[in-house]
Amino acid sequence: MHATVRSVIEVASEEQGDFCILDTEASPEHLSRGTAQYADAMLLVVEPYFKSLETGRRMAALAKDLGLERVALIANKMRGEEDLEAVREFARNNGLEVGGVIPYDELMPGAERAGSSPLDFAPEGLAVAAIERIARGLADGSVAGNGVPQT
Amino acid sequence: MKLAVAGKGGSGKTSFSGTIARVLARDGHSVIAIDGDSNPNLVVTLGIAPERMRDMPTLPSDLLRRTENGIELSKTLEEVCDSHSLKGPDGVTLLVMAHPQHAGTG
Repeated sequence: MHATVRSVIEVASEEQGDFCILDTEASPEHLSRGTAQYADAMLLVVEPYFKSLETGRRMAALAKDLGLERVALIANKMRGEEDLEAVREFARNNGLEVGGVIPYDELMPGAERAGSSPLDFAPEGLAVAAIERIARGLADGSVAGNGVPQT
Repeated sequence: MKLAVAGKGGSGKTSFSGTIARVLARDGHSVIAIDGDSNPNLVVTLGIAPERMRDMPTLPSDLLRRTENGIELSKTLEEVCDSHSLKGPDGVTLLVMAHPQHAGTG
């Protein structure tokens, strides 16, 4: 399946869609197999604790090995200023961009328990509002955009 | 823009992927979403009933061919989407790459 995903991403272009969004497998291994090599940008969803951030760092390194220049962290399930500072410090120390911040929102696990989608279950929720801002940032280039190359 | 979303299991990447896809589609962009997980559940976050996945044929084994440039699709993406995608309520095209063992869970 990985080779098929890779080939689909390769041919996906502006004529076939403004956006092609690949939700990757959770293991860093798929990245070393090149599943995402034809993507323009990679967003790494991390939680504010060490193991999650460390996985993000390893994936960012693999993404850069694949030649992906635009890599950004999305800080998810953030409960306050301390969480935010932890992610920002980690990003600074590792030369990564924080492309978006999503607050912890009890409605998100609520949607999962209900077998529903966040947008249907909690359209007015804080997390959905934050994700909407990030989506629009992607569309206007302010998130993981072409501006300053990520180093 | 081709966007890969990654992260540790449980980080919320699938909820995130599905929701940005829907928001971009609602804003008028055309969006193709691909679930790269072998136990896919992006379908739920896109607001599509997971039962609809069951009716999808599995991807044909001759979909990839080897050329001097490497491996490529033997069909256009449009053809693949015609036969192997589901349309979400906001217009997102979900390309079905694998069949879930248990649709909507995991």
